[in-house]
Amino acid sequence: MSFLDIVLQLIQGVNYTVLVTLTCSATGLVVGLIVVGLRRLSFPGLRFLLDSFTYIFRAIPVLVLLFMVYFGLPMSGLKVPPLLAMALSLGLIAGAYIAEVFRGALDLVDASEIIAAQSMGMSRLQILISIEFPQMIRFAFPGMVNEFTTVLKYSPFAYTVGIPEITKQAMNLASTTMRGIEIYFAVGILYFVIYRIFLAGLQLLERHYRVPGLEPK
Amino acid sequence: MALIEINNLVKVFDKQTVLAGVNLSLVEGDVKVVMGPSGCGKSTLLRCLNRLIEPTSGTIIFRGEDITKPEVDVRALRQSIGFVFQQFALYRHLTVLENVTLALRKIRGMSRSEAKEKALHELSRLDMAIHCDKYPSQISGGQKQRVALARALAMDPAVVVFDEPTSALDPIMSREVAMLIKNLHRDNVTIMCVTHDLLLGRYLSERVAFLDHGIIKAEDTFENLCNNHSDPQIRSFFEREASTS
Repeated sequence: MSFLDIVLQLIQGVNYTVLVTLTCSATGLVVGLIVVGLRRLSFPGLRFLLDSFTYIFRAIPVLVLLFMVYFGLPMSGLKVPPLLAMALSLGLIAGAYIAEVFRGALDLVDASEIIAAQSMGMSRLQILISIEFPQMIRFAFPGMVNEFTTVLKYSPFAYTVGIPEITKQAMNLASTTMRGIEIYFAVGILYFVIYRIFLAGLQLLERHYRVPGLEPK
Repeated sequence: MALIEINNLVKVFDKQTVLAGVNLSLVEGDVKVVMGPSGCGKSTLLRCLNRLIEPTSGTIIFRGEDITKPEVDVRALRQSIGFVFQQFALYRHLTVLENVTLALRKIRGMSRSEAKEKALHELSRLDMAIHCDKYPSQISGGQKQRVALARALAMDPAVVVFDEPTSALDPIMSREVAMLIKNLHRDNVTIMCVTHDLLLGRYLSERVAFLDHGIIKAEDTFENLCNNHSDPQIRSFFEREASTS
């Protein structure tokens, strides 16, 4: 079996790695937006819950939460599919981190713009969606990319719940060929390629939405 | 009948009285210039007009209705009062055109094309249509102030309120903005302007209201306030401002 054969075999898991990464990143993004949005809208009593969420979920190891969701919930009669278990563990933890990235970025939105929008008669929600979020996401871009990269690097945990992603393919291959070093070297190369493609995609997006005078520092 | 009539307006922040009983009126189509030293309560007074700051007591009668009452629709009120800020407060992520169309679409519910037409009309009026695709960081301070004004005018407000409109501008741009405001007045737009800039104040109106320690201490012509007023503090304020302008 040549090195190329090993790579070709591993590539069968790439789809799942990408699927897990995209699902968890999207979950993290949506959760981050919801948390920071609700926090900004200052619903009474909600701030404590939102702060508790970000505090607790940033402290829990991904694998522990994944096992709680995937193996723990069925004991209370709730069977969770593997991909959903990843979204509810890695996705929520990413969401807690992204919410903190957003919180910092939101502070960079000029208060005078918010007052100007209020003076025009815009509602708090309209201001959040039309003025604060678009600027916040631009400011938060480097932090978001960092978090999405972390999600990619945590995606191998998906093998523990039976998703046949790259690492799972590698383990199967290593157990039958005993060529661990070459196989895991190939795994590293594949992750690097996925990372570069993700990064290129995100940089394209960032360039498309870049606004003069509003570049992240 | 006055468009705005402010009666005994008081605002207290944490035991500190910023407005101590302001009385002021503004007739439709008129210009009211309010001057006063820093921290005299000018900006607080303006922000009470559209309830960005809630007054502690007193009344503000706008178009015959007391707008300090709790049942007043504050968002509807704000649409009737155009605000132009000292630091322009343009939305940095939006182009000049989008800055003007945003409220038209979100608040007035106009379609994109309707809002664009209205916005371009207002921007053309202020010679800014040519810059409509630029972002705020790509235009000068004077141009930003024009866009801020176009944004306010696009909502067809009953009155346009200027909060220190020239304080962030150099003298040439300040003069340009002063002419702009004067032209608005000639177009019968009702204007209230708080400023430090004596040149601007004199250019806009013969009379000025002097706000100090939270009350209107005098309302008269510049000449009288500068030369003939009985209060030496008021005379010295206008003399000092005249010498620095």
